[in-house]
Amino acid sequence: MRIVVAEDLFLLRDGMVRLVEAFGHTVVAAVDDGPAALAALLEHRPDVAVVDVRLPPTFSDEGLQAALAARRAVPGLPVLILSQHVEQLYARELLADGHGGIGYQLKDRVLDAGQFMDAVQRVADGGTALDPTVVAKLLGRPLRADPLGALTERERSVLALMAEGLSNAAIAARLFLSEGSVGKYTTAIFGKLGLVGDEDTNRRVRAVLAYLDAGRAG
Amino acid sequence: MGGSTATEGAGTVANGVPGRIAVGLWRCAVLTALTCLPVLVAGPVAWAGGSLAYSWSAGMTAALPLRVLAVVGETLLVLLWTGVALWTVHPFTSRPLAGAARRCAARWLGLELSVAYRRTRPVVRMATGFWWDGHEYHRSEREARRRAAVHARYHDPQLHWDGVWLLGAAVTVLPAAALPLLALLLGALLTAAHPWYGLLLVAAGAAAAPFGWRVLGPVGRRLLGPVASTRLGWRVAELEAIRADLTQTQAAELERIERGLHDGAQARLVALGMSMGAAEHLVDRDPAAAKRLLAEARSASAGALDELRALVRGINPPVLVERGLVDAVRALALDAAVEAEVVSRVPARPERPVEAALYFAVAELLTNAAKHARATRVLVELHYEGRTLTATVSDDGVGGAAASPGSGLSGLERRAAAFGGRLEVDSPVGGPTRITVAVPCELS
Repeated sequence: MRIVVAEDLFLLRDGMVRLVEAFGHTVVAAVDDGPAALAALLEHRPDVAVVDVRLPPTFSDEGLQAALAARRAVPGLPVLILSQHVEQLYARELLADGHGGIGYQLKDRVLDAGQFMDAVQRVADGGTALDPTVVAKLLGRPLRADPLGALTERERSVLALMAEGLSNAAIAARLFLSEGSVGKYTTAIFGKLGLVGDEDTNRRVRAVLAYLDAGRAG
Repeated sequence: MGGSTATEGAGTVANGVPGRIAVGLWRCAVLTALTCLPVLVAGPVAWAGGSLAYSWSAGMTAALPLRVLAVVGETLLVLLWTGVALWTVHPFTSRPLAGAARRCAARWLGLELSVAYRRTRPVVRMATGFWWDGHEYHRSEREARRRAAVHARYHDPQLHWDGVWLLGAAVTVLPAAALPLLALLLGALLTAAHPWYGLLLVAAGAAAAPFGWRVLGPVGRRLLGPVASTRLGWRVAELEAIRADLTQTQAAELERIERGLHDGAQARLVALGMSMGAAEHLVDRDPAAAKRLLAEARSASAGALDELRALVRGINPPVLVERGLVDAVRALALDAAVEAEVVSRVPARPERPVEAALYFAVAELLTNAAKHARATRVLVELHYEGRTLTATVSDDGVGGAAASPGSGLSGLERRAAAFGGRLEVDSPVGGPTRITVAVPCELS
C-alpha cells in the first residue's frame, strides 16, 4: 500500500513510518503540517493516509480539516485520523459524507502494532475503524427518538463492533458466534434501520451514521 | 394636583387626603429646616455686607467707568464675605445636616445612601519622643490625638461633598419644600383682609404639601451619595476579595493537578518500570512469566495515558483549544448524561480565559442538571449581545437551586465575578431551572 503520514512530532512520525514499512507498505510522503498534508493527499492520492488531528501551523484541528478538504475533493479517499483524545463531534464530521474509508483512533492504539495495522488495512479497504472509546460513548448514551430502540441487546453489540469497523468474521470471533449468525444479525440491523443494500461496506457506514443521527436527533 | 398618587417608599403611613397633607407639611418643614442654613447664613451676610460695601460708592460723582469698577469691586467683596461665612459654618454643620437628610431619604423614600467618613488615624510615638499624627509631629500624645481627629474631620472629601449637597439643596430642595409652607402662612395672614385670596393660597399650599418634599429623591440621589473616592475604596475591597478567592482557587487547582500526576500517572510509570525490570530478569528463565509481566506493563502504560488524558481535559479541554467555545459546548452536550441541545449566536471566538470560564461553567451546570435537578432535557444557549457573552442553561428538573455560600453555584458566581461577570439563578422549587452566566467581553 502507498501511505501518507501527517504527524508533527518527529518521534511518532518516524516510528509510524518504520512501523508501516516493517509491515511491507510504502510511505510516499511524511509531512508535519496541515497545508503540506492536504497537498500530499491531493498529489499522491494514497491508498490510505494516517493524519494527526492537531497539526501546525495553528495547532488546532488542522489535520482534521485537511482530511475533510481532501475527501471533499476526492470522495472516499481513505483517511485514518489519529488523536490524543476522541470526540463524538469529530467522528460525526468525518462520517457525515456517508462514504467509507474512515478511521478515527486514539494515538495509544499505535502501541499495539497488530491492531493499528489492522485498522489501517480496514480503512484502506473502504471500511470504518472507529475507536472503541467513541463507540462506547455512542452506545452509552441514552437514546430517545430512535430507530435503534428496536434493536435487541445482541444486535446492539454487533452494531458496536461494526462501527469499530470489524468484519463479520471478526465480529463472530469476538462474540463467540458463528459467522452465519452474525450475518443474520447484520441483516436484521440493516432491516430495522431501513438500509437497503447496494454494497456491504457502505451499508455498514450508513448503519453507524444512522446511529450518530439518532444521537443528534436527541 | 391632589389626585390619587400612590404613596411609595418606606414609612408612608398616613391615610386619606388630610393625612397626606399633614405628613407632606411635616416633611416639607423638616426639609426646610435641614436645608435653609446656607440661606440663613449667606442672606444676612450678603445684606449687611452689601449695605456696608455699596455705601462707599453711593452718591459717587466720578466718571461712569470708575463707578462701574467700584460697584464690581464692592460686589466681589460681598461675594468674598459671603463665601467666607459659608466656609466657616460648613465644617461644623454640613455633616450633621447631610446625615439628617440621608436618614429622611431612607425613611421616606427607601433611598439607602451609605457613605464613609474618614476615620481618625492612630497616633504613633517616634524614636525621638515626638508624636506623629500622620501629618505633623507633636510634643504630647494628647495634642497629637486632637490634631489627628481635627484633620480627619475637616479634611474629609465626604464632608466637602456634604457641603456641596447643602449648597445644591439650598437652591433646589429648599424652594420646593418651603413654598407650600410659605403659601399656607401668607394665606393665613391674608385671610383677615382678603378671605378669598387667603383661602385660595391656603388651599394651594395644602395641595402642594404632599409633593414638595419629594424633590429630596432626585437631588439626594445625586448629591447625598458617597464621593467617588469612597466608591473606589469599596470597589478595591471587592476586588481584593475576588483576588483572594482566585488565588485560593488557583492553589486548590494546582494541588489537584499535582495529586493527579503524583498518585496517578507517576505511580503507574513506576509500576511500568518495575514490571519491565522484572521481565528483564525473567526473560531467560521463565519466558511465559516475562511475557505476562510485559503485558501488564503495556496495560499500565495505557492506564497512565488515560489518566494524563483525563487530567489534560480537566485543565484545558482539547476541543476548546482546537475549536473554541461553541463546538466545545456542543461536544459537552454530546457527552452529557441528559439530552442536551445547543443553540448558539456567537459571531467570533472570545478570549481564551473567558472561553474557558464559560466552558467550565456550562460543564458544571450540565452536571448539576443531570445530578441534582434530575432533568431529562437541557437547553444550552450561547449568546453575544451588548458586549456581553452569556451562557444560559435551562432544564426541566426539580428546581430549587440556589447560590448559597459553599455551594457549586456560589463558586461559579465567584469565578464569573473575577471576569466582571455575574450569575443569575432562576430556579423555583418544582422547577424549571434557568441559570445564566454573563461575562462582559469584546468580540471583533
